[in-house]
Amino acid sequence: MIKKGSNKLISVYWFIILILVAGGIVMMANVFYSSPYDIRSTEANILSTKVANCIYFGGKMNPALIGVNGVFKQEFKDNFLSHCNLNFDSDISFTQKQYYTQADFYLFSEIQPQKSFELSAGNKNWIADCGIKTSKPKLPVCYNNSFLARGPTGKIYLIKTLSIVGNVDKNVQ
Amino acid sequence: MKKRGEILVENVIFIVLNILFFSILVLFLVKQSTGSYLLEQSYSKQIALLVDSALPGTIMTLNMPQALTISKKNNFDFNKVVSFSRGNVNVNLSSGRGYSYHYFSNYTPHAYPLDEKTGVYVITVSK
Repeated sequence: MIKKGSNKLISVYWFIILILVAGGIVMMANVFYSSPYDIRSTEANILSTKVANCIYFGGKMNPALIGVNGVFKQEFKDNFLSHCNLNFDSDISFTQKQYYTQADFYLFSEIQPQKSFELSAGNKNWIADCGIKTSKPKLPVCYNNSFLARGPTGKIYLIKTLSIVGNVDKNVQ
Repeated sequence: MKKRGEILVENVIFIVLNILFFSILVLFLVKQSTGSYLLEQSYSKQIALLVDSALPGTIMTLNMPQALTISKKNNFDFNKVVSFSRGNVNVNLSSGRGYSYHYFSNYTPHAYPLDEKTGVYVITVSK
């Protein structure tokens, strides 16, 4: 009789253990599958490449950006997004833009390179979050890039680009 | 003899319950991993990245056999699985809202199924 009772007790404990294990697995599966795929670093990389290709493509700087006399055009700066075929506007009204891109032009020949021109578009509020180093991923993803480009007058420009992608709600749990 | 029979029945019930328990657990995990929400999100983001990196004139074919299976299971028209509206790509595998993701390219993408039997979608990008 004692043996039978202890067997039943073991069965009850066994099922309690099973329920605990199942609960743990269900919780882990839920956490794993409910966390969205984070594609922001790829997005930022593509955005940076698009901006770079828009500025300098096929060994030539975009003629809409810089004239033959080496003067940067204000019109390009004013319509930077449309010139580069970018659209940062979301279909949802009253929501802040989820993207920011910036390109700074430096004359490469100078010892102390000075900024000669800059382009920017998107949500500038994201810039402040770029320097923050934290383990929490609920911050925008920033991507820095730089390249050299020869202008129409033969001057070499160092172009530094910064691309930021917010989209925190859709990429981070 | 009677005692032995009782032990056997107890053991059988115990084993059957264990098998049932683990089967339900495995079914739950399989259902979670092949859920339409996950696939909608995955396809939507993949297509958004493809559209973002594409130049005008690009024609892409996307193999979506899982989307075909799930849309058939949900009695949802495969022609309506991928759609684009106002800078968003929307992937729908059921009659629900689906999943939409914004793309930043200003080019105009179009999507249509190439073959409804194999689940291949064609995505074109034009100016």
